[in-house]
Amino acid sequence: MSSQQSPKTQLAALSAPAVIFTVAMIAFPFCYSIWLSFQAFSSVGTTSFNGADNYVRMVSDGEFWNGLAVTFYLYILSLALQLFFGTILALVMFRSKKLPGIVRSLFISPFMMPPVVAGMMWLVILDPSLGAANYILTSFGLPPSEWLASPGFVVPTLAFIDTWQWSPYVALIVLGGLQALPPSVYEAAEIDGASPVKVLFRITLPLLLPTLVAAMILRSVDLLRFFDLIYITTQGGPANASNTLNIYGFRVGFEFFQLGYASALMVTLSVIVLGAVLVLNRLRDAVAW
Amino acid sequence: MASIHTRGLVKKYGSLTVLHGLDLEIPDHELVVLVGPSGCGKSTLLRVLAGLEAIDEGDLFIGEDRVNDIPAAKRDIAMVFQDYALYPHMTVRQNMAFALEMRGMARGEIKERVEKAAALLAIEPYLDRRPKALSGGQRQRVAMGRAIVRNPRVFLFDEPLSNLDARLRTQVRAEIKTLSQQLRTTMVFVTHDQVEAMTMADRIVVMKSGVIQQVGSPEDVYETPANLFVAGFIGSPSMNFFPASVENDGLKLADGRTVAVGDRVQAAATAHRGKPLILGVRPEHFRVAPDAAGALSVEITLVEPLGSDTLIHFKVGDAEAIARVEPDLRPKVGDVIALAPSPEKAHLFEEKSGALIC
Repeated sequence: MSSQQSPKTQLAALSAPAVIFTVAMIAFPFCYSIWLSFQAFSSVGTTSFNGADNYVRMVSDGEFWNGLAVTFYLYILSLALQLFFGTILALVMFRSKKLPGIVRSLFISPFMMPPVVAGMMWLVILDPSLGAANYILTSFGLPPSEWLASPGFVVPTLAFIDTWQWSPYVALIVLGGLQALPPSVYEAAEIDGASPVKVLFRITLPLLLPTLVAAMILRSVDLLRFFDLIYITTQGGPANASNTLNIYGFRVGFEFFQLGYASALMVTLSVIVLGAVLVLNRLRDAVAW
Repeated sequence: MASIHTRGLVKKYGSLTVLHGLDLEIPDHELVVLVGPSGCGKSTLLRVLAGLEAIDEGDLFIGEDRVNDIPAAKRDIAMVFQDYALYPHMTVRQNMAFALEMRGMARGEIKERVEKAAALLAIEPYLDRRPKALSGGQRQRVAMGRAIVRNPRVFLFDEPLSNLDARLRTQVRAEIKTLSQQLRTTMVFVTHDQVEAMTMADRIVVMKSGVIQQVGSPEDVYETPANLFVAGFIGSPSMNFFPASVENDGLKLADGRTVAVGDRVQAAATAHRGKPLILGVRPEHFRVAPDAAGALSVEITLVEPLGSDTLIHFKVGDAEAIARVEPDLRPKVGDVIALAPSPEKAHLFEEKSGALIC
């Protein structure tokens, strides 16, 4: 680069690749989706501006409200389970310093698996007639379950699979937080006479709150956009019981080719994700120490 | 309130022994300072006293109780950590109340004790703040407050002033000493700063490589250091050391010159004739004596004016030395000056063992 160029020109030139990438890969698709959400598509593929019709339709669409309810049910259940088991797993790994490396690797291996592979694996395990899950239940004299085929069971089952896969990820984040806690605080607590249980609830968990909220933010973005596992296992069924907003939007767009309405659904989902992140960010500031 | 004593105390980390059979008596009500260079074992000893490290051999008594196997929580001690170790998510009030809550004390009494300690340390305005909203000095006071509310038998301080700036350190140092006089509780204070040790201690324990070198009052260790290490460690700037041998009219230094040291040192040196000796003179124990017989004529290599007095650097043979002189002298680099060691204050050490002769 010529030394004749002004610092401003150099700055622009150096940041141009990142700016172009961001505009091409993020800003353009997002703005295009917003534009699409205000369009109506004809059967021959032409578009026409239809104002807020797509959003008005959404408010009166029972499928949308069902999708929203399923999304939040799955989100809250999965997030709670993943934080709970992730924290326990992190505490076990933190306390068991002599745990062999292979065991630690096994602990964290599920989230390294592609969701499609995990989905296929659990489809086989949870198969109502041939799966290992029902074989184990019946061998203990318990009644078999329909798991993913039961409208009542499907969301808890999906939450369980996602928890199995993503708790280790939460555990790694929490483990990082645990390792960063000041050791002298624990020595002070020891001298102050705090029992291990008191130390956990009065010292460790409150100090971990900012880390836990960070993990919540990361998982929230994924969980609110829950897609791949459902697409592999249930495709929104049975009877729309796992039809999250993301799955519903996908079907509206790519099965029924109502791209304007699908875009309105996705813009709404994006606003929900953004809102959740903003709320959790506030929470993180509130619990920072 | 309790005395502390250790008998043959040994602490090992694997094959590394860091405390070598320490025998130490810390009487009740005293403020004892453990001082020594990094790695001398002073903090390890404090942690052993606290119960944060297990004892490998020997005995530790607090009061009449042998506490080797008593956990930290039950030793009735309080500790102020180097980084204060305040609970960052709790307010000052909650920090101070925590240990009392763990003991199951009644709320009313906790409140009373916290407020009393806060008044003593002038931290009442900060009781509802979190540690991150406090300055270093305020955190330091809260850490002391957390210790005081427990009314323990022994206070342990692990280099609590090292994170403070020089001005605040002087202030807090005085506050801790005042506190010690008010509370009349046994205090053990660890520092690597010999000025802190000298100014605060009722008694100083000088340590090196896990071995106690000397125990005594600040005056004792300053005026009668047990060996070359203590002599060099206590006092700022350090004592000057000159390799020497005995001559009839004084001590012959490494550069061949003879210096007069007075009857006391001369007699002690004569008794060690033939052995390599070290003459020790503190910078403040040189006097400018142009007419004195046996004074050392030295060329000034560096001048450090401190206001109250002036430090002049010079060389005797290969040995670098410092003398503290009156500021009115206004010495300059390159001046030649006659310095005579004070006969009453000079020390003589055996070179081989480092032990004090006189």
